[in-house]
Amino acid sequence: MWPVVKSVLAALLGVQNDRQRQHDFSTGKPAVFIIVAVLVTLIFVLLLAGIAIFAAG
Amino acid sequence: MRLPWRWLLSVTSAATLSQAHASSWNMPVGVTDISRDIFGLHMTIFWVCVVIGVIVFGVMFYSLFRYRHSKGAKAAQFHEHTSVEVLWTAIPILILVGMAVPATATLKNMYDTSEADLDIMITGQQWRWRYEYLGEDVAFTSNLSTSREQIRGEAERGEHYLLDVDEPLVLPINRKVRFLMTSDDVIHSWWVPELAVKQDTIPGFINENWVQINEPGIYRGQCAELCGVNHGFMPIVVHAMEEADYEIWLAERKEAAEQEAMGVDREWALEELMARGETVYQSICSSCHQSEGQGAMPAFPALAGNEQLIDDLDWHLDRIINGVSGAAMPAFRSTLNPVEIASVVTYTRNAWGNDTGDVVQPAAVAELITQ
Ligand SMILES: [Cu+2]
Repeated sequence: MWPVVKSVLAALLGVQNDRQRQHDFSTGKPAVFIIVAVLVTLIFVLLLAGIAIFAAG
Repeated sequence: MRLPWRWLLSVTSAATLSQAHASSWNMPVGVTDISRDIFGLHMTIFWVCVVIGVIVFGVMFYSLFRYRHSKGAKAAQFHEHTSVEVLWTAIPILILVGMAVPATATLKNMYDTSEADLDIMITGQQWRWRYEYLGEDVAFTSNLSTSREQIRGEAERGEHYLLDVDEPLVLPINRKVRFLMTSDDVIHSWWVPELAVKQDTIPGFINENWVQINEPGIYRGQCAELCGVNHGFMPIVVHAMEEADYEIWLAERKEAAEQEAMGVDREWALEELMARGETVYQSICSSCHQSEGQGAMPAFPALAGNEQLIDDLDWHLDRIINGVSGAAMPAFRSTLNPVEIASVVTYTRNAWGNDTGDVVQPAAVAELITQ
């Protein structure tokens, strides 16, 4: 699981390296990346909302 | 690597100097805590940008020069470098967050209109401002007072050309004043740079803003939303006074309003109405209908020699009290009092050769308004 999360985080920042990319594309399943990516985005949004609510409170 | 340090230093000291004395090429420091916060943010972010610019362009120009083709430089051929990529993503994020924290705190403060000591309703009108001291029975319109001769170039322009009004907005210092801002016709914007307030006034909406002025003085501003032909002729003047002086001023205004209300019931002479009417006409009506009632077609009909006006007093009163829908003529039922309406109607019916001899009494106007 961790390599998938790492790849998703790298994609968020736009810093994936070529070796890892080749590896993901040859062995991973697209669905797993998509689901993890959606979850990570959701967590990111909730995190921002949480900071905003905390700051406004 | 050699940077022109001396040049940089001179720019730095010039900017520091400007911070002490509001300069003409920077925004004003202003006279409220918020305006100072905004100025501080502006300068901080300006210097952050300067530092980033100097570093980025410094490295770029240095590299261009040091590794130039004529010296036989060979381009590096590598594809990726994760740690450098993370670094140049993380640093901008940190800089942006670092700027956003104090900016957001200031913004929150600006929007906090709670617990005000004083509420003032500001209404934009084509083309003047109306100020109402809520709960105090004091209200007036503030009109441009720069003379027509100056505008036409027939007289020398004064120091505050187009930035002078007949009645400034008077505010006490050290008190939190809340503005409730709206408009009677189109969108205007109430802007006084020294107070760091620039707020749209929108018909049908009430926008809020607030100031707490630290120093007595006269602060000038302008309408900042293109609102029609006389957009440039509706300036704002704020007169900030010591609290005790403000109380005296307010008491005087209340007294004057009471006197005016009492004047409604008595019988007025033609000369009195004419004199008062001329003042009202010149400050309220003349910006459209012109100083001699000659009008400015097609939008603003002439009043001098206007046959319908001369023949029909009721029609004339109705125009002024209720306005003309779909035209530039506003309703004055709530912005002018009965004395002002009666006197300006009497004036326009007898000035410039209109000579109808009609005398309109304030009491009659008061009755029309309450109908
Ligand atoms: Cu305006």
